[in-house]
Amino acid sequence: MKINKPNQRGQIQLTFSWIYIAIAGAVILLFFFSIVVKQKQVSEERLSVEVVRIMESILTGAGVSESTKNFIDASGLADYTLYFDCIDSVSEFGIQGRPARAQNAIDPLFAPKTMQGRQIIAWSLPYKLPFKVIDFLLITSSSNKYYLTGGDGVFVNEFLNATEGFNREYVTDLSEIDADSEFDVRIVDADGTHIPGKKVPGSLQDFDDMKVSAVVFTGSNQNTIDFYQKEGLEWKKLNKNPVRIISLGGERDAAKYAAIFAGDDKTYQCNMQKAFRRLEILSEVYGGSGIAELQVGGKLGELQEYYLSQGLSAHPDCLGNIQNYPDHLTESLAALKSRAAACQLEEEICLDLISTAGKIQDLNNNLRLNCIRLY
Amino acid sequence: MKRSTLPYGLRRNRKAQIQMSETIAVLFIFFVLIFFGIIFYYKYQQVSFQEKQEELLGTRAIETTLKTLFLPELICSKGEAESEDNCVDMLKLRSLNETIKQYLDDYYFEIFSYARIYVQEVYPGNSTFILYDKQKPDATREEPTFFVVTLRDEIAGKGQELHKFGYLAVVVYS
Repeated sequence: MKINKPNQRGQIQLTFSWIYIAIAGAVILLFFFSIVVKQKQVSEERLSVEVVRIMESILTGAGVSESTKNFIDASGLADYTLYFDCIDSVSEFGIQGRPARAQNAIDPLFAPKTMQGRQIIAWSLPYKLPFKVIDFLLITSSSNKYYLTGGDGVFVNEFLNATEGFNREYVTDLSEIDADSEFDVRIVDADGTHIPGKKVPGSLQDFDDMKVSAVVFTGSNQNTIDFYQKEGLEWKKLNKNPVRIISLGGERDAAKYAAIFAGDDKTYQCNMQKAFRRLEILSEVYGGSGIAELQVGGKLGELQEYYLSQGLSAHPDCLGNIQNYPDHLTESLAALKSRAAACQLEEEICLDLISTAGKIQDLNNNLRLNCIRLY
Repeated sequence: MKRSTLPYGLRRNRKAQIQMSETIAVLFIFFVLIFFGIIFYYKYQQVSFQEKQEELLGTRAIETTLKTLFLPELICSKGEAESEDNCVDMLKLRSLNETIKQYLDDYYFEIFSYARIYVQEVYPGNSTFILYDKQKPDATREEPTFFVVTLRDEIAGKGQELHKFGYLAVVVYS
């Protein structure tokens, strides 16, 4: 019995040592594992912040330079889904499921609601009403497919030429669509004959509802827009009333192209409001802060003062178009400022901006021959 | 081998004391190393944070300059044609400060943040036009950026538009 005692104690000691080592090892492993997990979280958050910051810089650069297209390699972001939204004239974008995001209350940014792909495309188009108000930044990706259908040859050709390098295709009928490998599909019905009252094309029926949408141009000059979203096998109209394109038309109409790239009617109108806010300020730059009360200042004030000092040597059209003729710039700029301000409160009034801007455009063209133009 | 003359119990005590001192020494060195590691990491973080701040300030300076150069409130236009790059319309510039001041807090601050932006005429005159001025109360550093521009004055020449020269200065604060 005495001989066995030390052996037993040794065995217990040995077992205890191993249990101790196992527990200590597990605790140490757990400690390092928690550090690794924490670090992974921190670095992912840091990465998302960095990505959003870089995106912001890229979009700033792309947004300011007029009429430029930037094809940005984003293969590092291919696994992430970017989201874009706009509420109360403040747009927001970021990476889905991550806290980092960027907000912007100034620059109109028209993009799909979600986006994923190896290449981001940023296209800036100047919005003029009638003078340049701001650059619209249209964003899409290589995985967002645009199918254009209907419409006259003029717009089809213009769209296809303007969007060279984009993931877009012209189809004469929606049954030609084959979009198996696409992330998101947008149909552009240029004359309103292919979407309203029709079923979702067969090849798109298996797609997630949120990934298939359509924008339909209606009205006599295709100057109103309806936004649709796939709902099962049907198209669901998103806007109650047709959305009016507030622009003077012409080639590469920024407001029209913005509708094609905007996520839905709400984000479209939300971003348009930013442009109307800038228009209100710009009308003061051209007409002075008291222009709404017909007190001329700004650039128009400088021109008025100059022509008054010139006396009879100045061409009569100059002061005529500024203040004397029945239709003159002072009154038109006053109307533009008042309507731009009112349009931010009531959408219906925005329509009046078109006729007022048209009038300013005509008056500016009248000045072209013998006088200094307003813009 | 010379055997120790000390009794067995004392020999064991001494060995334990040496082992204890060894453990304390190892622990001391370990903590000293950790302490140096923490100091090194702190210093590294401090330097990289400062570098990051400088990089961000530089980026902001370039972005603000870009935004100013293409500002519709300032840029030269010719009817429906594309705007003229690096050209400032003097007729708009002269009264722009008033408009910017009026909308500084609720609009332009969002574009320019804390900055001072002015156009300096170099030839033929030397007038300065301050466009935007919002100083940061506790600013620790500033980053100035300069860009050469032409200043188009349509009423200065005799029936001809006159192009002057100058530069756009953008100073951002952080």
